[in-house]
Amino acid sequence: MRNHSIRWLVVLALVIFGMGVFTSTAPAKDIIFMDLSDYTGPVAGLALPGSMGTEDYLKYINNKGGVEGLKIKYMGIDTRYDVARAISAFKRQRRNKQVVAVGIVSTPVGKMMQALTKKEKLVVHVPGDGEFQAHPGNFFTWGPVYQDAFAATIDWIMDDWEKKGESGKPKVAVLSWDNAYGREMLRGGKEYAEMKGAQLLPSELFPTGTLKHDVYLTRLDKAGANYVYVGGVDPVQTNVMRDATALGLTEKIQFISDYWGPTALGISLHPKALEGMVVVSFFLRGQEAFDHPLLKELWTTVRKQPMDKFNEGYGIGVGAGINLVGAVTDTVKRVGKNKVTREEVHNSYLRLTGLDRQGLAGRCTYSPTRRAGADVVKFYKVTGGKIVPITDWVQTPDAVSMHKWK
Amino acid sequence: MKGYRRHNWVIFFILGLLAFGMWGCAAFQPKPTAQLEVIPNETALTPALLKKPVMFKGSGYAPNEMVIVDLMIPKGVKIKSVSEDEESVGVAFANADENGNFQAKMGATATLNWFFQVGWTPNIKPVFKEATPLPPGEYEIRATGAESDKFGLATLTLVPPPKKE
Repeated sequence: MRNHSIRWLVVLALVIFGMGVFTSTAPAKDIIFMDLSDYTGPVAGLALPGSMGTEDYLKYINNKGGVEGLKIKYMGIDTRYDVARAISAFKRQRRNKQVVAVGIVSTPVGKMMQALTKKEKLVVHVPGDGEFQAHPGNFFTWGPVYQDAFAATIDWIMDDWEKKGESGKPKVAVLSWDNAYGREMLRGGKEYAEMKGAQLLPSELFPTGTLKHDVYLTRLDKAGANYVYVGGVDPVQTNVMRDATALGLTEKIQFISDYWGPTALGISLHPKALEGMVVVSFFLRGQEAFDHPLLKELWTTVRKQPMDKFNEGYGIGVGAGINLVGAVTDTVKRVGKNKVTREEVHNSYLRLTGLDRQGLAGRCTYSPTRRAGADVVKFYKVTGGKIVPITDWVQTPDAVSMHKWK
Repeated sequence: MKGYRRHNWVIFFILGLLAFGMWGCAAFQPKPTAQLEVIPNETALTPALLKKPVMFKGSGYAPNEMVIVDLMIPKGVKIKSVSEDEESVGVAFANADENGNFQAKMGATATLNWFFQVGWTPNIKPVFKEATPLPPGEYEIRATGAESDKFGLATLTLVPPPKKE
């Protein structure tokens, strides 16, 4: 009897010890997408809808049983656009092997994450720096990189210039934030514009948070700008157009927004200011986005929100979610659902070439040599308070390869 | 009766094991393996911190590694946008030099977000009306090497801002 008790105690002790030891090393059932986003900070207006899109798409897939039963959990961190916060949060999860991909929304965070993860095959979703395409590694941009979208805009400008019957070279300038993002589009974009015969004026760069742009706009006017490419995250474009309208410049200069420009919601609030602005976009905007079956279904049934609260930035996140699910599906097919590792998911991202994003963006273009998420953009124009397409999807030129990268 | 006593003994044994485990975890908390200094180590939360931010200096880290500085969140203190299961929030970072020394200062965004806890306008302007500043008190600061996991600890004391005359 005494021996029996001792045996029982030994078993119990082993169970307790085992609980401590093995809970930390048990094989993971689910995998995690860690989103270092901005829900309440300076760029929340754009980042939050995108994050919602990824979260909802992953929920949608999980609700349908996941990928062969494997669930992809969404782990959202509100970084408030702060690099230190993002890096610290990432470090806590760095050795968590369940985290197979990370999303970030800021260029400076991207630079730091690049330094931290350069030896790892961990997929990182990033906005649009061409540097990640120039030096292919573990960073994957959501759509075409900034310089390729700018180059497509140069094509549109040259075409527009010709249609208007103008002679000589069109004078083109960039008006954007004075930071790495504000300069990125010209790293290759400048070379492309010159090659196509556009005359690039010196950029006008202003600090983030600038509310009045009269000084910069007046200088561009004096320099004879015909086209101004406006960078920044809306409401930057709205503020620029408000000031340009007040200065009477929208009559003689065509303003074009990069892809973080005004959405239908912003346009509905400031229709007069934005009238006539052209917007280059790698994701659907306006009615095209509102009518998209998948976006509509996710927004109303997973997010459970009415369509009048919908923001087209949601589509960016859904697109990123489709990429992730596509990669995990490929990984499961190749190695089985119990062997889904960061490295295997990374390898699958390189095999996503041609993945269909249900028309909410162009087909995926990730490959062993390509980290840009798409190679097409669409041009829209603000007309009568609505944002309407003025082209179909058009091919983006490869401006990245024209730049001499260090 | 005998069986009842035996069960009691077993329960005590299990509780003892658990207590030992918990004591063990606390007793074996790793000690700092690097040095850290907060400059200044006592300050009031005033807008002057935006011009002259809190700095961190450390040594004993691996050469050239990234060092991440965290403010450990005391129990009962809520930081805007940081969930309750997070024990810290990153406030600064820097790369150590070839001798393992680093120096980092808090960026304006970090000071605004984590010390003042301001709101933001879509035009990227801080909204001080929505600020919920960290309460005065002692805050543990931890600077960790991203590769070596070496860490240093220091204390930052926040004192109440001077009263307006």
